[in-house]
Amino acid sequence: MNTSRRNIAPIRVVPVLLGIALAAGLAWPRTTDSQPAAEKRTSGPGQRWSKVSVALPTSENRFPPGEGSQITGQCLICHSAGMVLRQPPLTLDEWVGEINKMRNAFGAPLPADQVDTLAKYLYTINGRHSSGGSTTVDGQGS
Amino acid sequence: MRQSNFRSTQLSRRDLLARLGGVGLAGLLGASPWKAMAATIVELPFVNGRRELVTNFPQKGAMLLQRTRPPLLETPFDVFGDGVFTPNDRFYVRWHLANIPTTIDPATFRLEIHGHVRQPISLTLDELVDKFEPHEIAAVNQCSGNSRGFFNPRVPGGEWANGAMGNALWKGVRLKDVLDRAGVKTGALQVRFNGLDTGVTPQTPDFMKSLAIDHARDGEVMIAYAMNGEPLPLLNGFPVRLVVPGWYATYWVKMLNDIEVLSAPDDNFWTAKAYLIPDTPFANVVPGQQGVKMIPINRMLPRSFFTNVKDGAVLKVGQSTPVRGIAFGGDTALAQVLFSPDAGIQWQEARLGPDHGKYSFRQWEVPMRLASRGAHKLMVKAINTAGSAQPEHANWNAAGFMRNVIESVSVQGV
Repeated sequence: MNTSRRNIAPIRVVPVLLGIALAAGLAWPRTTDSQPAAEKRTSGPGQRWSKVSVALPTSENRFPPGEGSQITGQCLICHSAGMVLRQPPLTLDEWVGEINKMRNAFGAPLPADQVDTLAKYLYTINGRHSSGGSTTVDGQGS
Repeated sequence: MRQSNFRSTQLSRRDLLARLGGVGLAGLLGASPWKAMAATIVELPFVNGRRELVTNFPQKGAMLLQRTRPPLLETPFDVFGDGVFTPNDRFYVRWHLANIPTTIDPATFRLEIHGHVRQPISLTLDELVDKFEPHEIAAVNQCSGNSRGFFNPRVPGGEWANGAMGNALWKGVRLKDVLDRAGVKTGALQVRFNGLDTGVTPQTPDFMKSLAIDHARDGEVMIAYAMNGEPLPLLNGFPVRLVVPGWYATYWVKMLNDIEVLSAPDDNFWTAKAYLIPDTPFANVVPGQQGVKMIPINRMLPRSFFTNVKDGAVLKVGQSTPVRGIAFGGDTALAQVLFSPDAGIQWQEARLGPDHGKYSFRQWEVPMRLASRGAHKLMVKAINTAGSAQPEHANWNAAGFMRNVIESVSVQGV
């Protein structure tokens, strides 16, 4: 989809504000079923496909300094730092589990002898004391 | 089917003015926990839930940034109050692997169907559109880990609030018709789907998912080339993606370019080892519980949400207020949405909005009048036609999958 095509699309639905709902009692908001736009190019025979070219933004997030932070360059091969920085605080064991998942399941090129250093670094910047159940084996694959 | 129910999104000037005029009254229910810290920061209601609202992703409006690369973008929850179809430019985004093609040329794109078939075929996009009967369905696409941020104890992963879901009118062709064109041979067990995305290192398993052959040929699973009447945004899988109504989004392979019919069980990482759930009701276990049988995640569960009342809202006692939201039945139609004004002691049936099909979001609404001052806990519960109801207690599993607990909001009567 190119920019010009988007520009000719109908006006987007604006948020239905509560005030209207209050004023209108129990009537359904008028935009409830407004969507999708008319069958345009995708209505079967005759459809014309356009080449799509986009640019994806790059991350400006950086790992904070600290002992072991130099290893995080290995993390950045596959994903931006924000994924790590937005995790809930994890125990040291949970961080070890996450790092080993990246190594074993996804092939992160991180030597075994750097796992503890990296885990301690991540625990330092975003850790919690161990209490309650372990969550190290998450099985979710990402 | 539902097409006739859709109205144009064109708004008259009067409509726009009327809606703008509602701003003042909207303040009555103010006090959101999703505090805007600044113009572009949103605080999701869990630890480390600060998220930037970004607008710099292609073909996307304002989205909550979970991860830049590969992109994880959450739909801000207010969008779900605007209507039961999620606009393409606000539809959540979830990629596993960072090598995502940023240019797709329809002139060279091919969808390959091969493996345990009589005649491998290679389809252009025009052939897909012109040579197969079009098929349409409204269906919710929900990430397996939607709402993971609310798990207690917390689990690692994409830390979503409730916005890793969306509902769209999908148009395309039935997978069954495409498989029939290639001719599935006797002994086929599964069908495996692969998209154009790949990992950055050669060691990273390519993202592929499989469905049982009977599921793949059920006439509902489809290859979509349009979403809400427009081509898919690239980040939602342009030019085509798999649509698996009623099943979690991990199966809805994006930028689908390869379909392989298998005569032996798929042992690839993403099907065999990832996206596994405990084989228990609601995929629920006790934290730390060991020795539970694990199975691939599959059918969705019913869910319902408030869209016009938020936690901390202040409401006038004795005044009638319409409370509304959205709900869906999961792997089958919604039967009922029940609302409780008193933390689950009494339940009343909500009125349901137009039906766009059993896999779609549906709006619900009840008139509410708070009887007394002070705190009130409102609850909403969906029940589907198979009798599955949202549970009172939240499930827990180590992957943070399949949350569907009854939703509640606390309001203050004044």
